Amino acid sequence: MLEKLTLTPLHTLLLALADDEFILGYRNSEWTGIAPMLEEDVAFSSMAQDEIGHARLMYEMLAAETGISADKIAYARQPEEFLSCRLMEHRKLDWAHAIARQFLYDTADHVRLDALSRSAYTPLANASEKILREEKYHLMHGDMWLNRLATLSTDSRKRLLDALDVLWPDALGVFEELPGEAELVDAGILPEPSSALQAEWLSQLAPYFERFDLPFPAEMDEQTGLYRPTMEPVYGGRRGKHTEEFTELWEEMTSVYRLDPEAVW
Amino acid sequence: MNLPVFEVFTQAREGKPFEQGGSIVAPDAEMAILYAREFYGRRQESHRIWIVPRESIVEINDPDLLHPPAVDRSYRTVGGYSVRDTLRATRGAVAGSTQPD
Repeated sequence: MLEKLTLTPLHTLLLALADDEFILGYRNSEWTGIAPMLEEDVAFSSMAQDEIGHARLMYEMLAAETGISADKIAYARQPEEFLSCRLMEHRKLDWAHAIARQFLYDTADHVRLDALSRSAYTPLANASEKILREEKYHLMHGDMWLNRLATLSTDSRKRLLDALDVLWPDALGVFEELPGEAELVDAGILPEPSSALQAEWLSQLAPYFERFDLPFPAEMDEQTGLYRPTMEPVYGGRRGKHTEEFTELWEEMTSVYRLDPEAVW
Repeated sequence: MNLPVFEVFTQAREGKPFEQGGSIVAPDAEMAILYAREFYGRRQESHRIWIVPRESIVEINDPDLLHPPAVDRSYRTVGGYSVRDTLRATRGAVAGSTQPD
């Protein structure tokens, strides 16, 4: 097994970004073969691959920084060394849940990538710009599905509402402050603090959720004009605190690697 | 679920003709865009994609119209005319004459 990484703030940022994409990619691949229709199966699986591809970009940046291979970073860490947010941990429930999670994450990730495309750390700025272009499709996909689930039938709408109920506190947790964040912001590596990114994300989502009359646990602060959550976000992921569901996923996704960590592929 | 079928046509490069790529099933035209891109555009193989509801396509497949019966209509095509003798005579005449500079 990999010796525990000593993380600089930059390492922490890259790991958090990579782990989010890696875990979401894995979770979404659980739909491969059983999505609601063949066309959607291909599209959703392809999006899962996109996320894993983005994770790879970030792990490779970290590999260049640390001299440890991207595969090792991805597979040889212990569950508590993962810095993904809690939103990714839910095991597969129903389709509305999968779509709502993807939508909440993609819109949040878009705001984050937009800021990171101005990062003083050039490799990350360049990668973010590339990823943003690929995310355009994800946003279209999320918008079309969410819109239909919210309006097409009482059953689809109820499923969406149930999913949002479960997901909102965890979605707000995407913007948990990273360990060492102040240093990253000072250095311009993270151009905006997580709290500002969260406010920006919420301000972008507010009109959308209002249009479809969906629950929106945030409101604008009259004095600052900034949106802030009205419910307690679930934090902990960025500090390696995960749920049992995550441990189960970790067991499964690292099982082949752990059979023989030195195997050449 | 009885969903509509869309036929997808792809253009590989600007100016090239569109070719039928295949078909997809989607609940509506907007969702068809999602799936057409995924099936016929994600490997950068398409410059442009047309998506057409199958029911909007007007088809002719009547053999009486497309492969008319054996009445001699060869006079309508070049192959229906023997120009061999005329050609040979003309070539001979040209070869025998003095070519202008």
